[in-house]
Amino acid sequence: MRATRNATGRRIEGTVSALSQHVVSILSPYVGEMAADTCVRATALSLGKTTDDLTVDDLPALESNVRRLLGPLAPTNVIDQLLQDIERGLR
Amino acid sequence: MTALVAVYGVLSHLMFTEQLTGGAYAAAYWYGTSLQVLFAIVIISVGLMIGWHQHVGKQWTLLGIGVACYAVGDIIWTVLDLHLGIEPYPSAADVFYTLEYVFFLAALVLAIRSYSGITKVRTPVYVGLLVSGVAAAVLYFVLLRPYIFAAGVAELGLWGFVMSTLYPLGDVFFMLGPAVALTLIIGQLGAGKLAWPWWLVVAGALVFSLADSMYSYADWSGAGSSALMEMGWMTANLLFALAALVARDVYRVR
Repeated sequence: MRATRNATGRRIEGTVSALSQHVVSILSPYVGEMAADTCVRATALSLGKTTDDLTVDDLPALESNVRRLLGPLAPTNVIDQLLQDIERGLR
Repeated sequence: MTALVAVYGVLSHLMFTEQLTGGAYAAAYWYGTSLQVLFAIVIISVGLMIGWHQHVGKQWTLLGIGVACYAVGDIIWTVLDLHLGIEPYPSAADVFYTLEYVFFLAALVLAIRSYSGITKVRTPVYVGLLVSGVAAAVLYFVLLRPYIFAAGVAELGLWGFVMSTLYPLGDVFFMLGPAVALTLIIGQLGAGKLAWPWWLVVAGALVFSLADSMYSYADWSGAGSSALMEMGWMTANLLFALAALVARDVYRVR
């Protein structure tokens, strides 16, 4: 399992739930914590998982959901930036 | 823009207290009308910069077109009132003034729908409708029944009757209700920055509907308008323009 870094680049524990926490930390400043959490939960639900079970392998599905849910709220350049930030934190 | 509106506030006061005459009065009149044009240009520019093909681009462009319609209404009103000496109400200006409702509603419906994926929108929409209904009932007893319906078509003419009824009802159903619904929706986003511009839009809608309703009541009850009341529309459209500028900053990536 890969370790993740949060929005500030700080390394966080490589647990499965760390991914969802990382994504929420990136999205929250833009859509608030509740809506950010909804994005993650919707992805987990669509994959038949819980948010704790999400792994980096689920990233494409997660990105697809973020694009779908935030698409009407923000221009594509903002969403692209958010997705880059998410991926950058996982390197 | 805020400073320009503050200057108009002073000019508006001078106009109402009849301290401006002749050319100065006309210049101040056109200055206020020009500000509405400026607001429309700012909002439409932001909308088009984002792009019509993007959901948010559509929302801001529609809002800008609404303010542009208001500005066209103001230009017609100014020409009729200032240069032709014709009573501007009711007139073609009202067609454009009321078109702001249509585009504002379209923009807010799109904005509200855009949140449907991440927040609950149904209950806020119902609450918005309820608030509109209650406000309409209050208007019926305070303004419509005692003044406008009492005057009727016989006194106001068909066009005057329709417009006098449409303005207060348009305020509550096309401005206040959608604004309340959007408030409840973006309130769920907490401090999320995508909601920041919409808070300003909501504030603008509340100021607009309040100014319009107060003007109608003041006009019909004989209390008369005031410079402060006139500033309501100016402040509302300023808030819409500031919202567009905040949106431009929020959508700017590093």
